[in-house]
Amino acid sequence: MTDLADRTVQLYRIMGSTEAADYALREALGIIKTAGSIDELRKKLASFAADVIKARPTSALMLNTFRDILMALTNLEGVEPAEARRLLAEKVESWIARARESVEKLAEIGARRIPDETRILTHSYSYSVVRTLEKCVAQGKRIEVVVTESRPTGEGLATAETLSSKGIPVTLIVDSAARFIMKDVDLVLMGAEAIAANGAVVNKVGSSLIALAAHEARRRVFIAAGTYKFSVETVFGELVEIPSLPPRAVLSPEEAEKLGDDYKAWFPLMDVTPPEYIDAIITEMGMVAPEAVPLVLRELYGSWPPRLPDIDELLERLSG
Amino acid sequence: MTQLPPEVVRIAEDIKEMRIRGAGRIARAGAEALKLAAQKYRGSPSPEDFRRYMERVAHYVVSTRPTAVSLPNAVSFVMKRLREAEGSFRELVATVVAAADEFIETSLRAVETIGRIGARMIKDGETILTHCHSTAAVSVLVAARKMGKEIKVYTTETRPKFQGRITYRQLAEAGVNATQIPDSAVRSVMKRVDKVVVGADTITSDGALINKVGTSQVALAAHEARVRLFVAAETYKFSPASVHGVPVLIEERPPEEVAPRKWLERNPGVKVRNPAFDVTPPEYIDAIITELGVIPPKAAAMVLRELFGYSAEAEKLVLVAVEHDEAGVYY
Repeated sequence: MTDLADRTVQLYRIMGSTEAADYALREALGIIKTAGSIDELRKKLASFAADVIKARPTSALMLNTFRDILMALTNLEGVEPAEARRLLAEKVESWIARARESVEKLAEIGARRIPDETRILTHSYSYSVVRTLEKCVAQGKRIEVVVTESRPTGEGLATAETLSSKGIPVTLIVDSAARFIMKDVDLVLMGAEAIAANGAVVNKVGSSLIALAAHEARRRVFIAAGTYKFSVETVFGELVEIPSLPPRAVLSPEEAEKLGDDYKAWFPLMDVTPPEYIDAIITEMGMVAPEAVPLVLRELYGSWPPRLPDIDELLERLSG
Repeated sequence: MTQLPPEVVRIAEDIKEMRIRGAGRIARAGAEALKLAAQKYRGSPSPEDFRRYMERVAHYVVSTRPTAVSLPNAVSFVMKRLREAEGSFRELVATVVAAADEFIETSLRAVETIGRIGARMIKDGETILTHCHSTAAVSVLVAARKMGKEIKVYTTETRPKFQGRITYRQLAEAGVNATQIPDSAVRSVMKRVDKVVVGADTITSDGALINKVGTSQVALAAHEARVRLFVAAETYKFSPASVHGVPVLIEERPPEEVAPRKWLERNPGVKVRNPAFDVTPPEYIDAIITELGVIPPKAAAMVLRELFGYSAEAEKLVLVAVEHDEAGVYY
């Protein structure tokens, strides 16, 4: 296994959490297909799951998908190896498909909410946001997008490139210019890494500052995020851990040399936007106010509070 | 018409050709030019002729760099004294020389004085956040450190040009415990911050602060978290033009500062907006620390009246500074 820090950098380098989970699921599929015995499969998959969850601890999607896969793993007693492999592969593939389908559905819903001739501000890179904006265009709406570059990792450029290649007029700004530009935009649309039990949104650092500036300027803030981004752990009081990148992962070698070895910096990757700055979360199950998270969780898992096994207990059981 | 002394023309040319740079240096050069113009005046010794000559010099000096706030500022300071003075030709010359000297002296000591005053407002053990690079703000923080206060400072990187790295280095060299953060993390750290200290590009008569882009969202996040915000600003950053209703021009800079040229060429459909400054409203500012003392932002008009006066001549002079047309957004 790679060093955790490197894995973290690698997983956060993959821009959106949808893509990161997709990448991890495909790797898991590889393990399922190549592992020798069922015992080896179980150990390898559990260790891989622990690894990616630790590497991208903010991603609720990663947690939710791998918890489900681990649950399937615990139910393999007495199952034929070939059959076990088939069942697991099916599970993983269904997650890969579900993530994509959810985005398509929520994008359609979100696009309906955006009127013709709207100028939208977005931050960083979100697959759900990009798909929503593309659907707007498909619905014949004339939209313009302002996108922040999103330091420290700079995914805003990828968003700008992607949208511009689809013919959407795009304006790129530095993160600091968000409040400057806020009066010129009609609404804010951002993605999510995780949505907590109280409706707070964990997303790329800077999101909460933009939401605050939008609130001040009375611009609405929408979050495009599938229900698999809802964090079950936070219902039970878990805090979402915010990882940061070491300066060497942010700076170019020339910059690093110029700033010296003593250079002390804090590059957090995510921040938390309180629900009062968010107007609605656009999910594949419809648009909901952030405070309606418990309602969605009940529908999703059949009960409130959701009855799901603890991920750490699952991991312990499988590796032991 | 009396010829302008060559010494005055030389200074004006140096300002125009940007051989003299920096708000403070430009301002002092402007005051020096007026002083020399008065001393080298060889026209008729009538007070009226001298006054007319000096108004002409003032317009000439200001027109060399109309966008530099500090220049009309220095000139207005000296001219206010002259306009209010009475007496003989010799007495008027002495008034100009004394006013110019006073301006130069005060301006030279301004940053140090601001540091001393501002440092008193910071308590031992506090965490401070600053944005961009401001000599006055750094002066406050370093002075606090020199007073033996153990402070921790967050400095933003300040995209697109990373001026925050200069701040970081200067603080670290002065033994201040500094940590750099990306601009996007300002709200993330705000709960751990006790006070914000920023510099100023311009302060308008209604108490608004025009400063490096991002300042207004730092101020907004501070306001939300009930963290006090102080602006460290020499009085030559106060805009006399704003008294007369002239909006401040926000310069928009080249896209290459934001994204690499190759990337921009590959994405011709992407427009870049790169405003150099933004506007922080006075309600997010707790106080402005000047070399003359601490004022509430809405008392900016008082400082402007006190230093530059309010008269038809003053109005004409500042209008010279805005008779130009450049790309940008007015606020």
